[in-house]
Amino acid sequence: MSQKSLLSASLLAAARDRLDISIPVLLVLAVLFVLLPLIPGEFILVVGTEILILGLFALSFNLIHGFMGQISFGHAAFFGLGAYTTALILQPLTAAGGLGTITFLLAILAAVPVSALGALVVGYFCVRLTGIYFAMLSMAFGELIFYVVFSWYSFTKGDDGIQGLMPPPLLKSPVVYYYFTFVVVALAAALLWRITRSPFGYTLRLLRDNPARTAFLGIDVRRVMLVNFVLAGSFAGLAGALWGPFARSVSPTLLGWAQSGVPVFMSLIGGAGYFAGPLVGSIVYTGLNSYVTRFTIYWPLTIGLVILAMVLFLPGGLLSVVDGWLKAKRRGEP
Amino acid sequence: MSMDFGSFLIQLLSGLSRGMMLFLLSAGLSLIFGVMNILNFAHATLWLLGGYITFSLYTALATQFEPSLLLLVPAVLGSTAILFVVGWLLERFLIRRMYGRELPEQLLLTFALILIIGDLIKMIWGVQNRRIVLPIEAWPVFDSFINPYLFVIIGSGAVVATFLWWFLARTRIGKIVRAAVYSRDMVSALGIRIPTIYAMVFALGVAIAGFSAGVFLPIIPIGLGLDMDLIIQCFAVVVIGGFGSIAGTLVASLLVGIVYSFSVLIWPDGALAVIFVILVAVLIWRPYGLFGTEMRS
Repeated sequence: MSQKSLLSASLLAAARDRLDISIPVLLVLAVLFVLLPLIPGEFILVVGTEILILGLFALSFNLIHGFMGQISFGHAAFFGLGAYTTALILQPLTAAGGLGTITFLLAILAAVPVSALGALVVGYFCVRLTGIYFAMLSMAFGELIFYVVFSWYSFTKGDDGIQGLMPPPLLKSPVVYYYFTFVVVALAAALLWRITRSPFGYTLRLLRDNPARTAFLGIDVRRVMLVNFVLAGSFAGLAGALWGPFARSVSPTLLGWAQSGVPVFMSLIGGAGYFAGPLVGSIVYTGLNSYVTRFTIYWPLTIGLVILAMVLFLPGGLLSVVDGWLKAKRRGEP
Repeated sequence: MSMDFGSFLIQLLSGLSRGMMLFLLSAGLSLIFGVMNILNFAHATLWLLGGYITFSLYTALATQFEPSLLLLVPAVLGSTAILFVVGWLLERFLIRRMYGRELPEQLLLTFALILIIGDLIKMIWGVQNRRIVLPIEAWPVFDSFINPYLFVIIGSGAVVATFLWWFLARTRIGKIVRAAVYSRDMVSALGIRIPTIYAMVFALGVAIAGFSAGVFLPIIPIGLGLDMDLIIQCFAVVVIGGFGSIAGTLVASLLVGIVYSFSVLIWPDGALAVIFVILVAVLIWRPYGLFGTEMRS
């Protein structure tokens, strides 16, 4: 049996087991991500790291969107809170020149409780609403947090952002930081996968599909939504924490509503109905962004046309095409 | 901070004119949402397009005639007409496919339009800000100066608002539009062409946006990015006032316009933040807006 048919056989087996096609997709992606540094040049590592960080950001967003059925337009607030927490801890240490690896890891982890706390406050109000009002309120809170960071100059340096961030010497080379990001994102993704497959994850889907029935079952709908909102915010914070040392700086745009649009695009491009969808979306979106901007200044036009085509012709996202193809093939074979 | 009566009056007037513009923009947004259940993210970007078209028409006219307020009239009307056609075509070829789709997909499509139209503007008009300078003398009032053009904005806003009310309340087509908000199927069963009504409502909303941009051009320079600020304020207005309520939209627009105008003096960077505080408060206290009723699903 050739390698290709072996792969498709295992994909089919996974589909037959009524598993999400996400498992084979994630495994294939993991192998590709591990092999990526074989491509020569530093640029591919930068793109790869960005794909992973934004991919985790989008995965966390999809906890709210794909699994809970709500749309948050303020998710970047938690990404930005995480980025600023880590940046504010790292900046004086980096400037003093004594940044150790352990301290660095602790600074990354410190982002999680801060973002979680932010998500707890925002979520407390947001989960009282659904649909368009949920989207609006999350956007309003996101903008509010943006303006606080933007105008609190003495603490956040406002518009200037925080410059001069660095990973510790051990993680400084692009390839090492890439693998470091890969490990963190892979662990976080595994945790997210576990959450979506837990009774809690199934409660979320139930709530998405039929909130009234969920409430009849005696489930505290708001509490489940709030817990999920905080989880999503925490993972977004972790993604944000990785951003500063990677980009060497953080700025208020990380919390802005344009940044909040990024995980929305990624989820819809990849397929919000699939766990791995946002990650696939990040590969397409970030990949396009990195390469298209080299050839044209009209990146917004390009991504706009891509999104337009996706919405009109592939509303389920790219993974739905793979899924549909697999299902058709399975039906064809007795 | 102390404030003399003259500057208070100026802030009030500029707040009112800003509120008027927000009203014209939000009224279209709210009308489109009420009738077709489409939240048009690109509404303010179409507003921006209308502003640029007005700028080009006015500049072209100004090479032939003496620049004056009167010259602005054909430029604004021309831009309004062009935007009506743009709106009609957008509905016909894109928006129409989104009826019955999920909210995120609708938002995504109209967001794609923001990116596309924004870049088209960049291609045609470049990145520098554009404005029209009208030869108008400021009026001295209480030791300060008031730009009398503010009254033109407030007046024309009031005229369009009255027209909109008259159109919806008194004309046959307006009644059909209002009926379509309640029951699309029933209206359709009566033999009325729903697709035409929808295209018209969308085009009308976009045309009013274009009109308000043109009218506003002599007091604020327009540039890319302004559409983002504005659409967020429109969402704030529509939510504060309540979806589908024209009266609510008017009150909320004036409130937001005036609050913005005064907060800019006190906290320039945070003027929008003040609006969001109001928005958050309204959403928590009355999620359906000050004048709204619980929405149909």
